[in-house]
Amino acid sequence: MRKSMFAAVALAALLGPAAAQAQTAGKRVQVTGEIVDTWCAVTGIMFGLGTAHHQCAVWCAVGGIPVAIRDKDGQFYMVLKIEDEDISVASPKIVKIQSHEVTVDGELFERDGVKYLLVDKVADDKGIVNLTHDEHGVVPFGE
Amino acid sequence: MRKLALAVVLALAAPSAHAAEPWGLKDEKLVSFKGKVVDVLCTLKGDCPADCGAGKRQLGLVSTEGKLFTASKSNTLFAGAARDLLPWCGKTIEIDGLLIENPAMPILMVQGIRETPDKEFAPTDQFEKDWTAANGKADEWWRADPTVKATLAPNGILGRKDLKWPK
Repeated sequence: MRKSMFAAVALAALLGPAAAQAQTAGKRVQVTGEIVDTWCAVTGIMFGLGTAHHQCAVWCAVGGIPVAIRDKDGQFYMVLKIEDEDISVASPKIVKIQSHEVTVDGELFERDGVKYLLVDKVADDKGIVNLTHDEHGVVPFGE
Repeated sequence: MRKLALAVVLALAAPSAHAAEPWGLKDEKLVSFKGKVVDVLCTLKGDCPADCGAGKRQLGLVSTEGKLFTASKSNTLFAGAARDLLPWCGKTIEIDGLLIENPAMPILMVQGIRETPDKEFAPTDQFEKDWTAANGKADEWWRADPTVKATLAPNGILGRKDLKWPK
C-alpha cells in the first residue's frame, strides 16, 4: 500500500502540476453535426456554413484555425484530436472533411464555456449535405 | 514641474495599453490580459507532449484568474494563432485582441503579444511569415496554398462534384 502511494506521488511529481490537475477522462458522447471552422461559424462572419462557405472552411482549417462540430441545436464542439491523428492544427483528416455532416464518438471535456471533443471514431460521414450556396452564393468574395 | 513634464513624456512614449483593433462583430469585446501559454489538450486531459506539441496542437492561455482561452485566430487572414504562441509555451505573456462572447462558444482572436508591459505588442503574423518562407510571396496565401489547391481540386469550391460554381 505504501509502495503504491509512493509510486503515485512520484508519478505526479514527474508529470508536473499541469498533468496532476488535469482531468484524465472526459464524458463519453456521440455528436452529430457539420464540421465547421470555429472563427467563421461562431462569429457569424462570412456565413460560416455549408456549400457557400466550404472553400473558406478549407482555407481556415489549413490555416490552423480550430475546427468544431456544430450540431442541429447550434452547439459547438471544438475538435482537439481525431482518431489516430494527434494533430489539431491543420489536421489533414479534418481538412478533408470540412463541411461534412458527421456522427462521431468521442470524449467530451467542458471548461469555461467551451466544449472540447476528442474524436475516437467517425461513425458516419454523409458528406456535404448543407446546400447553402443557392441562397448565399460563395462566401467570401463570391468566387 | 519637471517631474510632471517627465511623467507626460513617459506616458506619451509608453506603448499603448490596448492596441487591439475592433472588427465590429456581434458580442465582440476588446480584451487584454496576462496568461500562461498552454497546450489545450494537455491542460484538459494531462496528455502532454514536449514543446506544447511542437506546432501540431491548439494552444491557449490560462489567465491569472485560472480561466482557459483557446487562441483561435491570429492577425493573418484565415489563420490561427498556434504558431504565434508556440515560442511562449509554459511562459506567462500578455495578449490583446478580441473576445467574442457567443453563448454557444466564446472565441478569442489574439492580435498582439508582449512579454512585459514596457514592450509594444508584437502582431500575430507568424503563419504568414512561415508560409511565405516555405512557399514564396503571394497576395493571397489561401488561394496559392498547395494543400488548399489539392483539397479543393477534386470536387470544386462547393465541395461536391455535382454542384457547379458559377452555375
